[in-house]
Amino acid sequence: MSIDVSGLNKKFGDFVALDDVNVTIPTGQLTALLGPSGGGKSTLLRIIAGLEKADTGSVTIEGVEATHLPAQKRNVGFVFQHYAVFKHMTVAKNVAFGLEIRKRPKDEIEHRVEELLKLVHLSQFAHRLPSQLSGGQRQRMALARALAVEPSVLLLDEPFGALDAKVRKELRDWLRRLHDDVHVTTVFVTHDQEEALEVADEIVVINEGRVEQVGTPDQLYDEPANDFVMSFLGEVTHLGGVSLRPHDLEIDSSPQLAGSVEGTVSRLVRIGFEVRLTVLTVDGDEVSVVVTRAHARAHRIEEGSTVWLTPAAGASVVPRMAAAV
Amino acid sequence: MADTLVHPTVEEPPVEERRRPPRVRKTPVTYLLRFIVTAYLFFLVAWPVSLVVTHTFSDGLGSIRSLLEDPDMVVALQLSAYVAVWSVLINTVFGVGMSLLLVRYEFPGKRLLNSLLDIPLSVSPIVVGLALVLVYGGRNGWLGPTLAGWGLDVIFSTPGIIMATTFVALPLMIRELVPVLEEIGIEQEQAAESLGANGLQRFWRITLPSIKWGITYGVVLTLARSLGEFGAVKVVSGNVLGQTRTATLAVEEKYLNFDQQGAYATAFLLAMVSVACIVVVAIIRPKNHP
Repeated sequence: MSIDVSGLNKKFGDFVALDDVNVTIPTGQLTALLGPSGGGKSTLLRIIAGLEKADTGSVTIEGVEATHLPAQKRNVGFVFQHYAVFKHMTVAKNVAFGLEIRKRPKDEIEHRVEELLKLVHLSQFAHRLPSQLSGGQRQRMALARALAVEPSVLLLDEPFGALDAKVRKELRDWLRRLHDDVHVTTVFVTHDQEEALEVADEIVVINEGRVEQVGTPDQLYDEPANDFVMSFLGEVTHLGGVSLRPHDLEIDSSPQLAGSVEGTVSRLVRIGFEVRLTVLTVDGDEVSVVVTRAHARAHRIEEGSTVWLTPAAGASVVPRMAAAV
Repeated sequence: MADTLVHPTVEEPPVEERRRPPRVRKTPVTYLLRFIVTAYLFFLVAWPVSLVVTHTFSDGLGSIRSLLEDPDMVVALQLSAYVAVWSVLINTVFGVGMSLLLVRYEFPGKRLLNSLLDIPLSVSPIVVGLALVLVYGGRNGWLGPTLAGWGLDVIFSTPGIIMATTFVALPLMIRELVPVLEEIGIEQEQAAESLGANGLQRFWRITLPSIKWGITYGVVLTLARSLGEFGAVKVVSGNVLGQTRTATLAVEEKYLNFDQQGAYATAFLLAMVSVACIVVVAIIRPKNHP
């Protein structure tokens, strides 16, 4: 196993950042640490990198006990949210930095830098300064820089957080393809569940310093371990005593199945191909339902219509936590 | 390596760091403020300084030539230069170290230390001189007699002048570097660390180059201040002609002895060095740096 974290605890003053975290990150895969801001995922990543020290617990990287190893000896590549480019060096020198530190021969360095710049499509910017690059370009350079030393593990701390939506989507795609090519064990931190679901092979959900669930995107979405994981990974609505997905509700204009709940459509919004409904059931629940435009048209659902709701067959449901007053 | 992009990414145009300042509408108030600032700078700075220049050259290069032919004057100028260089060296090393300490570390007493570092600027230089005499005075200072016993004369000798000058210029480098270090942050160094650089490599390859313009300005300010120090040096040096008289003391001496030409010429030489430094830095500084 590539990274083994066991019994990790970390406090900042009174604030508990990590609470007895145990997690194993498989070799060669793209793993996401997903969770809300302040949940501890960046702290965990930095402890793995050696940029922070845990209070108790151990970190093993590629079988080597790394808990007390300084960052520079761990052979991990790190990519920061705000790029952390070396502002006074050209792009080529930035990428070459790790190799120069390791005192590699000059032509080897040149060759590797050229190779990497081609990989990240920045060859024509080799002699520019980072201040002349856009955000997306800087992050690609930072990635090339981290990969230059052939790390055993690549760690990315919300790498696309500082970029605008379009660039974020492009780089997300690009990272996945890069990983498919290069196969370095990669761990990245994000609070964007769509990003995690799209890119990662495996997701570790972290909240309030604790690991909530570990699994593939499908597992997490379809079989959430608890209410938190379910509501974090996608839209959640409540019907009767269960939480389920708004698109997992069958909606009809007449009671079709046993156990249907009657309600009135109080709000209807059309967004693209989705139609989002808010239904007030006779039991007093306010339920969100999502259907396609075609479906809504076929059943002639409008604001004020009376409808019947049933959970779809095979829908993932989680018993609802005690609702906050 | 295989092309890892599905489609070629549209290369965003390179972002220019320097943005045009927003256009402000010019009102009568704008012109009035400009006039006030110009008048203020003119009467307080430009005109008096330009008078020094005109008086110096009132009969060509004669006054400067006679200045440089006087061996005692040459010694005074050399002493000023020597002291200034030492002050710059000490304050650079100490300044960089102290700035890093203040910005990067937390420790008890940090705020007190921060305030103490402002004392040299807020205390009158004459007080500085007297304090040094009190501690290092050869006959009845606290440490003076001990040091004199070891053969080290501080007061009325060059080491004392260096100490006094270094002290009054102390905060300049630090106050220049602290904001620069705060702005840079530690991420670049963490990145370097993750790439395998040890402490010394990070300092040499990342920290120092990042603050080089801060250091440059700090050096210029320290040099100017050190060359121009008068009060503390007057108390500490004893003003012995040919031995412990610095250029600034020489200016006073000449002026009091009605050698106005000499006074202006010396003052001009001192001022020129500082102005030259500032001009050179302004020229070689890259345009997109603050």
